[in-house]
Amino acid sequence: MEQALIADAGAAPRQADLAFDRLYRSSRDDVYAYVASLLRDPAAAEEVTAVAFERAYRKRSRFDPHRGEPRAWLFGIARNAALDELRRRGRQAELAAEPADLAAVGAEESAAASEQRLAVSAALASLIPRERELIALKFFAGLSNREIAAVLGLSESNAGTRLHRAITKLREACDGAI
Amino acid sequence: MEPFRDNDELAIALRSLRPAPRAAFAAELDARVDAEFPSPVKSAATPLSRWAAKLRTAQPRRLVLPAGGVALAAIAAVTVVVAASEPGSSPSTHRLRPTHGSVQFESAPGVVKAPRHAAKASEAAVGTSAEAAAESPPAESPAEPFLANGRARAHTGPFAFPARHRDVERSAELTLGAAPDDVSDDARRVFAVVHAHDGIVLSSSIRESDNAEIAARFSLLIPAAKVGDALDALSSIDEVRSRHQATADVTAPTVGLGERLRDSRAKVEGLLSQLAAADTDAERAAAEVELRAEHNHAAALRSRLSALQRRTNLSKVQVLIETRDRAGSQGGAWGPGAALGDAGHILGIAAGVALVALAVLGPLALLAWLAWLARRSWLRRRRERALG
Repeated sequence: MEQALIADAGAAPRQADLAFDRLYRSSRDDVYAYVASLLRDPAAAEEVTAVAFERAYRKRSRFDPHRGEPRAWLFGIARNAALDELRRRGRQAELAAEPADLAAVGAEESAAASEQRLAVSAALASLIPRERELIALKFFAGLSNREIAAVLGLSESNAGTRLHRAITKLREACDGAI
Repeated sequence: MEPFRDNDELAIALRSLRPAPRAAFAAELDARVDAEFPSPVKSAATPLSRWAAKLRTAQPRRLVLPAGGVALAAIAAVTVVVAASEPGSSPSTHRLRPTHGSVQFESAPGVVKAPRHAAKASEAAVGTSAEAAAESPPAESPAEPFLANGRARAHTGPFAFPARHRDVERSAELTLGAAPDDVSDDARRVFAVVHAHDGIVLSSSIRESDNAEIAARFSLLIPAAKVGDALDALSSIDEVRSRHQATADVTAPTVGLGERLRDSRAKVEGLLSQLAAADTDAERAAAEVELRAEHNHAAALRSRLSALQRRTNLSKVQVLIETRDRAGSQGGAWGPGAALGDAGHILGIAAGVALVALAVLGPLALLAWLAWLARRSWLRRRRERALG
């Protein structure tokens, strides 16, 4: 299904537009979540998300389905845009497990759930940026290991190994916090 | 709080932390996507900038065909220019080709008479004399200015030999086209022209076969003073297909040989005086040996000087009479054979142009590709550093 999100390069432009539209609808929130996690700034995340989709739209005719999956291609663009923004602002990238507006606990949320969120958030903060990015790509953006590998320019097995290490480290950090 | 029982439980906790976009931002972005990301500059952009933007975002595979078409058109255009500028492409093409110590003047097919104005150009080039050129056999064809007695005016210039007169060796080659039935008549007229100008026929050969490419060949010596008139007379015998003339300046070797000959004569006189004054048999014998050697040396110098003078006094002229039809450029019938020849010629030029273009553009493309790779690598490293 993912393969069909972007039409073949040789397809009619209209078909490519429809494919891009499908990719956008299915990935908008995922891209935002990933970018917001990288930038830790909701306003900047919105801006970078919009830039990423615009770049993807402009380059949609250059996408080659034989070279990768469309979501991996889109997240590659989003990652470059986010890293450019980080570089521009001269900020150290920090993965926010809990952006400010999302950290608020709902009234109906139990104390235990709240405590769990805080523990996971603290554990995430203890990871190095690259590990936090892996966690964000997997659990915030919902990418498969293969897609993560394509976004980061790694082999699939290498991406899986790194992800496993990051999850193990996160779990240990969570257990330590409890 | 209980520790996580498994990774699934951890995953659920992580997903609950997932940042979500504001509803207003999502709606705004949806609208921009629906409007296909309108650019404020787009409406004000010139057609050229719009075309450049389209080119930047175009798929590389789609650029291959237009790029190939442009390259082919460029090669075709350059081929036409090169082919059109080649000698012989125009019936009135003349070409001056300076060589080492000599000048060659060529007339394209159809040109009957050597223009007199070429004389001045040849004379100027004659100033660059070179002994090597002069000592070599006469050039295939002497050029120009067939001035009287094989002597041209002295010339000034950075390399001009400071002699009052120039010794110039001239040669010419004339190709006539004749119908097979006319070859004998033409040959007789060649002999008549040589006789009329006090020339010598060194060799001649005439073939009777109709299919011979060269039906007759003459090797002539014409007095330098008359070679211009003789060539004009020869050119009037039949259709002139090519006329090639060249000159070689032999002033320096002639003067050098003359000086060495004078030295040698002076030495002979000295040796004769020495022989006359010899008191002993041993001194006399030694002087005689030396005298014989010097006599031989002087004789060799005289011989070389005479040969040089003959070459300046008599011009070598080659006359060829062709019977094979030279279609196309000669105005004859243009058949499949000539078409194939022309096609091969054009393809050869096109291949040459393509090769030169490749030689120029290949390294540039390689450099551009390397620069692109380096930039990409540098950008990637900077981005990774931003992540920490």
